[in-house]
Formats: sequence, C-alpha cells, structure tokens
Amino acid sequence: MEGMTYLAIAYLGMILGLGIWTWTVVSRSINLQSRIKALEDSLGLESFESDILASEVNDGE
Amino acid sequence: MRVRHGELLLVMGFTGIMVTLFLAWEWAPSVSIDAFESPEAQRIFYWHVPAAWAAFIAFSVLFIGSALWVFKRSSLGWRLHVAGSEASLACGLMAVWSGCVWGAAEWGTPWDWTDVRLNTFGLLTLLALFLVLGRRSQPDGIESRDTFSTFGLYGFVLVPITYVATRIWQIRHPGPVIGGGEESSLSSDMGLVLLLGAISFTILIAGHMIMSTRITEYEQRLERLQNKVDGRI
Repeated sequence: MEGMTYLAIAYLGMILGLGIWTWTVVSRSINLQSRIKALEDSLGLESFESDILASEVNDGE
Repeated sequence: MRVRHGELLLVMGFTGIMVTLFLAWEWAPSVSIDAFESPEAQRIFYWHVPAAWAAFIAFSVLFIGSALWVFKRSSLGWRLHVAGSEASLACGLMAVWSGCVWGAAEWGTPWDWTDVRLNTFGLLTLLALFLVLGRRSQPDGIESRDTFSTFGLYGFVLVPITYVATRIWQIRHPGPVIGGGEESSLSSDMGLVLLLGAISFTILIAGHMIMSTRITEYEQRLERLQNKVDGRI
C-alpha cells in the first residue's frame, strides 16, 4: 500500500473512534437527563443527594 | 442561559483537532525521504502523539480518582475514576491504532512484542478496557468500587515506565520528539502543529471527562430515584 493510504486509514479510524465516543457520551447524557426529569416530575421532587454509596460510607464513619 | 462547560470544551477540542488535521496534511513540511521508509505516513504522528499525551493525562486522572475513592471514599473521586478510565480507553485505543498503522507502513509490521514502550502502553490500554467493561458488567457497590480503584491505583505504575521506556530501552519505537536532547529536535512548523494538536486533544478530553462525571452523577441520581419509586428509600 502507498504511504497516503496508510495515512488515510489511520486518520479515518481515529475520526470514527472519536465520533463514536462523543456520540455515546452525548446521547447517554441526554437520555439520562430526560429519564431523571420524568421521574422527578412524577415524584414532585427538585433534587437530592445522588451518590448513596459514598454518603452511606461517609455517614458510617 | 446555563453554560455547559463540557459541551463547549468538546466543540473547541474538535475544532482544534480538525484544524490540526488540516495543517498536518496541507501545511506541515515533509520529512526526508531518506530517513523514513514511508515519509507520507509520518504525518500520522500529528494525532498519534497528542492522543498518547491525552491518554497520559487521563491515566493521571484515573490514578487521582482511584486514590480519592480508596483513601477518602470521595464521591468525586469515584466519578473521576470513571471519567479517567473511559478517556484512557478512548485515547489509548487511538494511539495504539494509529501506531499500528504507522508501524505497518514504516516497519512492515504493526506490532513488535520485544519493544517495551509498545507493550507497556498496550497493557495500560488493556487495563482501561478492563475497568470500563468491568464497571459496566458489575452492580455498583463498595466492593466493586474498591476492586476497580485498586487496579487504577497500582496500574498507574506503568505510566512512568512507559514514559522512560524509549530513553532506556529504545528498540523499535522512536525516541522522544520533545525533551529528549539534540536528537529530538523538530522543525518549528512541525512543532507548532504538534503543539496545536496536544492542546486540542487536552481540551477535548477535559470536555469528555466533565461530561462523563456528569453522566455518573446522573446514573447515581436515577438509581436513587428508582429506589424511591420502588419504596426502598
């Protein structure tokens, strides 16, 4: 293969990887936000302590 | 209007790395055709080196987060552990992929099992893969957090070994391009494009890690809400 072909394969692979990684992160964030909003609305809540494990451990000390 | 720092940094980072890519193809000078088997493929290094740099930053965040969880039981520490492991995996895979393609072009083989730098960096990427897949396959609990954080903590020992590997045992991987003495000098134009790439990748992973810590917080909040709905709180 030519050097330019290797170059194109390397960059296309990295662009694809960056695209998948970013898409996954952004879509997970949007999905979780909408699910939290729906649950908080149904329970009539504003917000509360999120990390139950850390708070349980720290409270226990 | 609420400013979303994570998204803003992602956009800035992407813009920077695309400008780096354009400059690497169109503006950066070529290397000597006598010094390389495949001089065109050398342009891979404008993303390969910044991706490896970003991976080292991510491994450092993973180390700090793991230490904060193990020693302080810090919620932020766990979120940094998760963000650091995901960013380490993504940047590590990009560096390994681009390195393998360049190795195939330049050396005629994508991997050299006798080269210390390649193998320790490969191990670090596998560690990040283990942490990401392990966390997703296990229920969140103190024991699982302790286990993964311990791996994150002790796995960091591979980072300084990887960094000094080409200075002590240079087998196949090229020596340091910056800070390695007279042999590591770059032309100013090459150095400028490489610097832009390093800054852009740093901004990009900072955005990703901010997003990732936010997602971990959302996951914890969602679990708490679902427990409340189920009457367990």
